[in-house]
Amino acid sequence: MKRLLSLHAGLVFAFLYLPILVIVALSFNQSRFGVRFTGFTLEWYARLFSNERILEYLTNTLIVAVVSTAVSTLLGTLLAVGLVRYEFRLKSALRYLLYVPVVVPDVVMGISLLLLFDVVRDAIGWPRLSLFTIILAHISFQIAYVTLVVRARLVLLDPTLEEAAKDLGATSWQTFREVTLPLIMPGVVAGALLAFSLSLDDFVITFFTAGSGSTTLPLYIYSSVKLGIRPEIHALSTLMVGATILVILLGVLFWKKR
Amino acid sequence: MREAATPAQRLRRVLLTVGPGAFWLVLFVLVPTLIVLVVSLMSRGSLGQPVPPFGLHNYVRFFSDPLFLEIIGRSLWIGFWSTLLVMLLGYPLAFYIAQSRYKEVLLLLVVIPFFTNFLIRVYAWIVVFQKEGLLNALITAFGLPPGEFLPSTLAVYVATVYTYLPFFVLPLYAAVERIDWSLLEAAYDLGARPVRAFFEAIFPQTLPGLLAGFLLVFIPAVGTFVIADLLGGGKVTLVGNLIQLQFGSAQNWAFGSAASMVLMAMVLLGLWLYARTQGERGLDRLV
Amino acid sequence: MRGFWWPLLVVFLAGCGQEKKELRLLNWSDYMPKEVLQEFEKREGVRVVEDTYDSPEAMLSKLQAGGDSEYDVLITPDYTVGALARAGTLQELDKSKIPNLANLDPQFADPAYDPGARYSVAYQWGTTGLAYREDLVKGPVESWAVIFDPQQQVGSFLLLDEMREMVGAALKYRGQSVNTTDPAKLAEAQALLLEAKRRSQGFAGGTSIRDRLIGGDIAVGPAYSGDILAAQEENPQLKYVIPKEGATLWADCLVVLKKSPNHELAYRFINFLLEPEIAARISNSIGYATPVAAAMDKIEQKDNPLIYPSPEIRQRLELLADLGEGAEAFNRVWAEVKSR
Repeated sequence: MKRLLSLHAGLVFAFLYLPILVIVALSFNQSRFGVRFTGFTLEWYARLFSNERILEYLTNTLIVAVVSTAVSTLLGTLLAVGLVRYEFRLKSALRYLLYVPVVVPDVVMGISLLLLFDVVRDAIGWPRLSLFTIILAHISFQIAYVTLVVRARLVLLDPTLEEAAKDLGATSWQTFREVTLPLIMPGVVAGALLAFSLSLDDFVITFFTAGSGSTTLPLYIYSSVKLGIRPEIHALSTLMVGATILVILLGVLFWKKR
Repeated sequence: MREAATPAQRLRRVLLTVGPGAFWLVLFVLVPTLIVLVVSLMSRGSLGQPVPPFGLHNYVRFFSDPLFLEIIGRSLWIGFWSTLLVMLLGYPLAFYIAQSRYKEVLLLLVVIPFFTNFLIRVYAWIVVFQKEGLLNALITAFGLPPGEFLPSTLAVYVATVYTYLPFFVLPLYAAVERIDWSLLEAAYDLGARPVRAFFEAIFPQTLPGLLAGFLLVFIPAVGTFVIADLLGGGKVTLVGNLIQLQFGSAQNWAFGSAASMVLMAMVLLGLWLYARTQGERGLDRLV
Repeated sequence: MRGFWWPLLVVFLAGCGQEKKELRLLNWSDYMPKEVLQEFEKREGVRVVEDTYDSPEAMLSKLQAGGDSEYDVLITPDYTVGALARAGTLQELDKSKIPNLANLDPQFADPAYDPGARYSVAYQWGTTGLAYREDLVKGPVESWAVIFDPQQQVGSFLLLDEMREMVGAALKYRGQSVNTTDPAKLAEAQALLLEAKRRSQGFAGGTSIRDRLIGGDIAVGPAYSGDILAAQEENPQLKYVIPKEGATLWADCLVVLKKSPNHELAYRFINFLLEPEIAARISNSIGYATPVAAAMDKIEQKDNPLIYPSPEIRQRLELLADLGEGAEAFNRVWAEVKSR
């Protein structure tokens, strides 16, 4: 039984990694077409870097991810605190609204934001589709994830700690800053990391809300793939997978140290 | 004793904490959904833009043409079977990881593809399935004639399973970690045989994680357009492709909005059923 | 925490506010050599932002989604000019600002798709025929039958992701005009396309079909003349023919978008492209025919009948007309073909 389980796990891991390894191998392959390895080359990497647009796409991707994560972490954390600490009208409606961006298919969210920007632009001539609209769109789905992650941490919190602080004369703001926030910080960081990676990963919603000059890396990969297989894309993918692994490992090290 | 907050103070606090986020969600989630609903009731203008008159004609067209029902059916069908495949692959894996000595390393190995860019994961399968790709290289190495795997429904299935497998393993792993194994001992003590003992004592404990994982895979698998677009070459049309097509080259925003509303209604229906059985804790498991 | 977020936001908002002088161009993919754009950047001291598209239908949808205020110059198929002008998307050209219009072949001064050339300037012209790999096909390629007749299929093929061209090809195969809006004829074309789709490798844009022919992924596919002729150096087995039933003749046009903030720069760009030296460089690089008569003596392949068709071939070519309201019928056919 145990052996069967190991065999199964081995096969699944092979399934998970085989395609990625093929891309990595092909990114160093001389032959432009096919998978026969005809020799080692760094030509595709050179070509990738000779495309000055790549840096622009990378910058765009990072700007979107950083700004949207910053805003959504702030709004999401506050929202979580409010939802857990206070009672108010329409609270349950708000809770359900929170789940909508989590469960609605990307394509529906994408076209709904596209329509929103279109309606607003028709009315007031702004905003044109750009990095700005992409950021607005990303924040809209990130908020939900941040809120839910932070809330999960908040409900585990011992309320007596906050009460103690208040009994000692702290104002609500002081209590929040000195007691609550440090305690939920791991949740906030986890929420921000999730938001950040969701933004980097998103293609569909970006696809519908991007305009001229706001191409991100996923958009670039998509349009290149639509044009056919190009070894430069193998090289780009390899670099992105490498960066992903690096970031995850750094995250793990950081976590362990704490 | 400190004094209780006055109603005005409480209102201020609620507005300060919940206000900005709630405002954002209303403006960028609720309002756009309502706009989609309104647009879905409009007609197509000469350049594809939605124009009056209003009416239910888009929905009538959607539900009276077998073509669109077929597309919905195909989306659900492919979504269902790929989710089932994901579960068959992922369920034992979660157990294996939970019991392994190298648990952390193995989890990392699941997380890496999870965080690898979605498009790269799909793209990888083009490289495997294309005419001069890995699969055909293997097939011809065995002296067999090469096959055509791209575009095909098979490729769509494989890539869907591949893309969403980590989505399933992670929440399920969390459930397996919390399993109370003493129940298994108890079942054995009562004379149950291994298979029966597993289904009586262990399986029910993983059920909530299993259901959450099912939804986490099923919903995006039904709604995706990228996988079918890149690996189906425009031959495998899912409801996501239909929507994208209407907003793209078919230029009929009104009809595309109606299709979106249908997809959204299906998702919300599924979610409502799930919430009915699992409660709000179940909803939290989806994150 | 506050100390961390706000500077980021301020930097970002500042970044949004500043407007560098740039020319924003929306173009087919692989349709203008980089050096030409760089030359313009150098000469004018501006930045050129080029976005590309593969399917005109998707491009039109993008314009609809606010793209009309995002670009200064658009390169668009001839048959779209009328509809775009009627929708108020295009700026009527001030010809005094484009002195190099004098370099243009007179037949483009008053084209059928834009009477009086009020809104558009021809950029390149070409044909849409069949491309194939001589070493991969199992029979002669001289008719659209290799796509539409299961008995005469000579190898795996892709369909072109362009409504007018693809529906037009099916109509041509049946001996009809590419511009007919007769419902019965269109229904026939739809049936042909649906059947062909089942046997095909799916839909792709022109440059994708070219690349997959080079890669040996497919043996045949409808393609734009220049894409294939420019790629023949890379693979001499790559061939291009005008099918015996006929094909389309088209021109892609430069238009200025009404909402562009930069009309002056847009005019200078168009004028620049009409310089004989520049026009020749473009056509020599991308393989299409230039409408700039003054550039002809610098064109390397001016004697190639596939680029500049002989009168005999021209008889088989038909222009795509602006269909006006009739476009709706095409749209329906296309939506069916794409989603069924």
